[in-house]
Amino acid sequence: MKILVCITNVPDTTAKISFTDGDTKFNKTGVTYICGPYDDYALSRAVELRDQLGGTVTVMNVGEADSEQVIRKCLAIGADDAIRVNCEPTDSYFVAEQIAVVAAQEKYDLILMGRESIDYNGGIVHGLVAQMLGIPSLSPVMKLEIDGNTAKMTREIEGGKEDIEASLPLVLGCQEPIAEWKIPNMRGIMTARTKPLRVLEPVGEGLTVTSKYELPAPKGACKMVSADEAEKLIDLLKNEAKVL
Amino acid sequence: MATQFFSKRNLQFLLYEVFDAESLTKYPYYQDHARETFDMVLDSAEQIAEKMLKPLLTEMDRKEPQLVDGKIRIHEGMRNIIKKFGDDGWINAGFSYEEGGQQIPSTVLNSAAFIFQAANYSSSVFPFLTTGAANLLRSFGSKELQEIYIPNMYAGIWQGTMALTEPDAGSSLSDITTTAEPTDSDAECRPGVYKIKGQKIYISAGDHDMCENVIHLMLAKIKGGPAGAKGISLFVVPQKRIKETGGGSNGINTTNIENQTSNIEHRILEDNDVLTAGVYHKMGYKGAPIAHLMVGSNDNTLGYLVGEPHKGLTYMFQMMNEARIGVGMNAAAIGTAAYYASLEYAKERPQGRVISDKDISKPQTQIIRHADVKRMLLFQKAVVEGSLALLTQCGLYADLAHVTEGEEREYYHLLLDLLTPIAKSYPSEMCCLSTSAAVQILGGAGYTTDFPVEQFYREARIHPIHEGTTGIHGLDLLGRKIIIKNGKSLQLFFEELMKTIEQASEYESLKPFAEKLRKYLEKSAGITQHLLSLAAADLEVFLSDATLYLELFGIVTIAWQWLVQGIKAQEKLATAQGDDVNFYQGKLATMRYFYEYELVKIDGLARRLMSSDNVTVEMQSEWF
Ligand SMILES: Cc1cc2nc3c(=O)[nH]c(=O)nc-3n(C[C@H](O)[C@H](O)[C@H](O)COP(=O)(O)OP(=O)(O)OC[C@H]3O[C@@H](n4cnc5c(N)ncnc54)[C@H](O)[C@@H]3O)c2cc1C
Repeated sequence: MKILVCITNVPDTTAKISFTDGDTKFNKTGVTYICGPYDDYALSRAVELRDQLGGTVTVMNVGEADSEQVIRKCLAIGADDAIRVNCEPTDSYFVAEQIAVVAAQEKYDLILMGRESIDYNGGIVHGLVAQMLGIPSLSPVMKLEIDGNTAKMTREIEGGKEDIEASLPLVLGCQEPIAEWKIPNMRGIMTARTKPLRVLEPVGEGLTVTSKYELPAPKGACKMVSADEAEKLIDLLKNEAKVL
Repeated sequence: MATQFFSKRNLQFLLYEVFDAESLTKYPYYQDHARETFDMVLDSAEQIAEKMLKPLLTEMDRKEPQLVDGKIRIHEGMRNIIKKFGDDGWINAGFSYEEGGQQIPSTVLNSAAFIFQAANYSSSVFPFLTTGAANLLRSFGSKELQEIYIPNMYAGIWQGTMALTEPDAGSSLSDITTTAEPTDSDAECRPGVYKIKGQKIYISAGDHDMCENVIHLMLAKIKGGPAGAKGISLFVVPQKRIKETGGGSNGINTTNIENQTSNIEHRILEDNDVLTAGVYHKMGYKGAPIAHLMVGSNDNTLGYLVGEPHKGLTYMFQMMNEARIGVGMNAAAIGTAAYYASLEYAKERPQGRVISDKDISKPQTQIIRHADVKRMLLFQKAVVEGSLALLTQCGLYADLAHVTEGEEREYYHLLLDLLTPIAKSYPSEMCCLSTSAAVQILGGAGYTTDFPVEQFYREARIHPIHEGTTGIHGLDLLGRKIIIKNGKSLQLFFEELMKTIEQASEYESLKPFAEKLRKYLEKSAGITQHLLSLAAADLEVFLSDATLYLELFGIVTIAWQWLVQGIKAQEKLATAQGDDVNFYQGKLATMRYFYEYELVKIDGLARRLMSSDNVTVEMQSEWF
């Protein structure tokens, strides 16, 4: 079983968001980066499948050198090797293109990634990669078993779940509870430093340029009005918030 | 429940900015490491703490261990936690590659332990007790003993303990009465195998149902040996011994040993007559049991000698630095959790109005704006971050002593030895006060079980007691540590402080602090001389205020650590951006607080220590 896990390098959920260069660039100063939480689930399941069925897990990231810290963590969790495509991941199509190029050469049985990243939340890279490779893509997959050449999955759908089967190779967008989230152990941490990490140059160019970022307007101060003071509430809405 | 329980930013500041832990990687022993591995260790610790330990903090306090049918039952959640620590290699992470460890420096591992302890102190002790016991075995035990016991201890399958205390011997270990009788006079003639008989009390994790076996590293006196401390030996006394089926020395069948390490199912264990007579119900730290053990009641407890006879206490003491720094860390961690809980509350709780604006029509202000509340927060921050700095410094000295040779090694050893009683006692004593301040900040809410601070307050109280009471550490410092090697350790310590004072003097803004520390250092040196001059005339008078001397020494030491932090904060502030500006400003303000409010306490202590009124010595028991 040859598995590729594509991961995103995203700001920690508690990071303070700000911009530089006339609001065209995300300000990375003081921001801690993490592996996208959905990608973490994908990686955990990949490691479990590899341990169960044999084979290899390669972790891949399209990103600049500062994402290597997160890549090493994925190696510590249990991936066997890593590939980084050395460029800024400007848009989904561009990222998918990089993944597809590598995947076309390496012929993976399974390509797993998170259902979406938690920075831009596009959720389309798995679909694009599958399209480029001409293989099926499913998302969000919350259960995955492999039986021979068949993947047996459970997928979340609007209002319920769907059990589904498909032949390998596949591209899957994953989410909890596909696997138990793994925490790197001591041995994993030490071996991560010596596992191979290949750096490749990108193909093509990003197709989009950010012309301006904007933060949502700050939330107004919150006033608590007790349930038995409906009149006060109406008064505040009329005269202070001026929304009635 | 409070969300934050420690500050990662502060750990990073101490490890990388102040103490440059990365510099350890230039030594061959640590060369495979990098900041990246250190960060990953801390990240893993944080995840385990968040996901596994912290959720059980309150529950483990409320559902105390119980003795049921002779077995101590602990919280079921500990099963996964102990397994996790074993499976993930935490128990032996600091040991060498040859021993299956990862050679992770103490500086880093102590910081990881700090995260666990801050999340849930009770749950954190089980694996680290095993580490301590295994460390004794790997340092002094025979190869055979190591092979039998260590693998399952590292795996978290067998619990390790340190079994020293007895009903009539706590501080005074030379008075233990547990005996060891050689069996080599038996027909079977088993050198190194002894029959053990006695009682041990307050043994942490001395029995519980989340492990297969408990391995006690137990002190006992070999019959006919020298009296007092010189007659104490160290034994491995397993709760269940490996069944003897003939063959192999120490009465252990080697086939079984192989099976035991390779296949747990085939190991044959039999009862070793170590009975659990009781579990104590404690004021805090309730999730971890302390057991009363009856050893050899049926004349059937076998103990296996570790190292040479009569060297037990020496072996124990060689390991004590680590355990004592561990206790200081526990205290600092609990203090830290309490600090963040009270800080969070102080930011949210509206009460009263600031003194300069009492306009009743305006909403109440958050209590964090009151100077007195800020004082209590600053007090906590000064104590816990000052303590953590000293403990990190000690971890670094331990690592450097491990990888250096000759004079350099001795230098680190001497400093570590001198600072150990401080690193144990200052956080232990002061976090009782700082957790009390946390309770105070929450007012009535702090006294209720709706908030965690009352639990932290109770949990902090153990630390001045175990691993040597504060009184005993005072005696150790004044009666031993400052005198050994003709006072060389003390001289080195003073030199270290002088170096920091010189460095700080290069910054205009830090000069007043450097001067203050110089003044108090000189004062302390004078007090030390004065006390030493009393020793010849009357030992009892000389040592009567050893605890106060320890307190004074602690304050000077933490003032030093605050200046060390202040220098780095001042240097970094020049180029800091965003949240870092507040972080460094906070450090500098807390240093100011320490020098204004804590360092000056030396004046009072000095008066007492220089006084010739010996009221505590002269007071008669009958006068109470
Ligand atoms: C929660 C907990 C966990 C523990 N875990 C362990 C463990 O795992 N293993 C273990 O072996 N023990 C353990 N202990 C025991 C602990 O180490 C002892 O309680 C401690 O050493 C003090 O001994 P003691 O209780 O007999 O007090 P005592 O020695 O009776 O001391 C009582 C008081 O007298 C003072 N005092 C005693 N001697 C002197 C002296 N010479 N000069 C001046 N003052 C003196 C002490 O400072 C103290 O204030 C634990 C205890 C507790 C409460």
